[in-house]
Amino acid sequence: MAGKKVFGLNQINPASHALEHKEAAKVAVFGLASDFGCQVQMTNIERELLDVLGMFELVYWQLVSSAPLPEDFDIAIIEGAVCTQEHVETLQWIRERAKVVIAIGACAVTGGIPGLARGNVDDFAKRVYGDVPASCGSMASPRPVSDIIAVDFTVPGCPIEPLELVAVLQRALMGGNPEAGGRSMCGDCRLNEDVCFFERGRICLGLVTRAGCGAPCIKLGYPCNGCRGLAASANLDSARDIVAGYGLDVADFDARLQIFNKAGQDSSRS
Amino acid sequence: MLFRVIDKNEVPSLVRGFAAHYEVVGPVERNGGFAFDEVGSDPSRLRVDYDTTLLPPKKYLFPPKAELFTYDTVNNEVKDIDIPVVPRVLFGLHSCDINAINRLDAVFMASDFPDPYYRAQREATMIVGIDCTPNDHCFCNLWGTDEVTQGYDLFLHDLGDRYLVSILSVTAAEILAVATSARPASPKDSIDFQEKARAFKNSFSSGPAVYELPILMDAFYNDGLWDELGDRCLSCTACSMVCPTCYCFNMVDKLDAGGRSGARLRLWDSCCSPSFALVAGGHNFRPTAASRVRNRFYHKFLGYLSKYGNTLCTGCGRCERACKAHISPRVVIQGLQHKAVQSDAAAQGEGGRS
Ligand code: SF4
Ligand code: SF4
Repeated sequence: MAGKKVFGLNQINPASHALEHKEAAKVAVFGLASDFGCQVQMTNIERELLDVLGMFELVYWQLVSSAPLPEDFDIAIIEGAVCTQEHVETLQWIRERAKVVIAIGACAVTGGIPGLARGNVDDFAKRVYGDVPASCGSMASPRPVSDIIAVDFTVPGCPIEPLELVAVLQRALMGGNPEAGGRSMCGDCRLNEDVCFFERGRICLGLVTRAGCGAPCIKLGYPCNGCRGLAASANLDSARDIVAGYGLDVADFDARLQIFNKAGQDSSRS
Repeated sequence: MLFRVIDKNEVPSLVRGFAAHYEVVGPVERNGGFAFDEVGSDPSRLRVDYDTTLLPPKKYLFPPKAELFTYDTVNNEVKDIDIPVVPRVLFGLHSCDINAINRLDAVFMASDFPDPYYRAQREATMIVGIDCTPNDHCFCNLWGTDEVTQGYDLFLHDLGDRYLVSILSVTAAEILAVATSARPASPKDSIDFQEKARAFKNSFSSGPAVYELPILMDAFYNDGLWDELGDRCLSCTACSMVCPTCYCFNMVDKLDAGGRSGARLRLWDSCCSPSFALVAGGHNFRPTAASRVRNRFYHKFLGYLSKYGNTLCTGCGRCERACKAHISPRVVIQGLQHKAVQSDAAAQGEGGRS
């Protein structure tokens, strides 16, 4: 069976023992190219937020506080795709300081929606702005954070499930490894006793998408659009055969997959 | 074993009879399919004509997510929790699913390490079986699990306008006697039952013979068949989620938002999940889909059989329907038999040449 997709090596997280000190860990939140939706999601857990904030010291978060950017922090939470040279430099600056880096949201994890401009960012910029203003900075082809720096934990999704971020933060604070996963979505739909979209004649990206969200969209009647990115074990060839087997359009399946997977993959993805 | 006869229109009053003392769960329509749900409060929702359900009744004995105990991380204390038990009747189970529960009982009740959570709920659970009509995915007839002789309290055999009721428990017999006008079975009832049973046996589509399966599993352990199936597998775990006999689980610690207390959870797991055999240190004993699919069927057809004397499959057909990649027990059986014929022919060919 050699040569087949192998899952599971390099699961040891070098960051997991980085935070063994007694004072509260300092957490800084950064935004690259995104619509801030995931950051807003973080504020949407009113009931838990105070408890969560009690676990660490929040030293930087532009969305909620005007405190200036500090030189010293332990955990960096990064939202947004890398779209400019300035983003690249910011990430390098962050990585030099942070013991743990957590990428959150589709944009940061796979390049997400900004990633659709991968390969022809200049065209897109012209279409949007006409004359591209200088304030856009020196634009670069959109990429996930893990293309630039090592990422210790990821919280995928568009938007993220904030309690998933809380669980990841707890792992980072207490010295755990990223949760091992790798499976795609269909098992979650079966657990929910939902009937498969393919049996209803519709394409669903759950066949190859990273599980863990509990399939809420499917519960609400929408096929999976792949916002969590490809599963570590994603079997695209088999998925395409399945789509074709149901008499559905494989090109359509591939086009839909681009929405959240065009720019790349989270190299640390589980 | 006792036998009684009731009229079909007495089923709602039988459900109400149970509902006076127990939560009653039975098949209802859901999302264009069927699912087990609470029906005691409204027996008219009960669909005794269902073919199969999305999830098996296992979910009431071995829940997809169960809290085993809670703990306090500040004081480093573990608190045992009371095992939650709901006195319950699983109403309208087919033979395959009762046989599946018997397989689970062997693991969780009768083993060297009985599971207190499973046992407590199982002992508070009664089972009422009912005859079924096989659909295209059913192959219980291959394993003999189209019949069940133990594990239920009542079993309703369909005689057209009435049910012949097999009775295995005193409590259920008493409820039957009070809730219905159950009468002793007559010779005519027995004759009708024989005819119905014969028609039932003939209603299955023919399938591969399975008597040599463990031998084939052993002989073709390193066969390319597993790579072919692994190439198709999506590693989605749908097969195990819907399986009435799969019983693997994962243990997960879930902290509250502030990290000061937490719960240890038991969650259904699947040997088809890529992280299933991943261990501390980062080694994965089954890193490929081929090795995982092979493991799933080895356990079902050989491992469990060696220990408990049965295959860990009842032919319910749920995984055959759930697997988008067309990997199923019947596909494996047919694949192995095909291999056996091929290698037999090859061996004869070689013999002829020498
Ligand atoms: S292996 Fe498939 S057919 Fe057999 S009991 Fe499990 S779900 Fe049913
Ligand atoms: S065998 Fe089928 S249902 Fe099971 S994990 Fe593989 S693709 Fe999913």
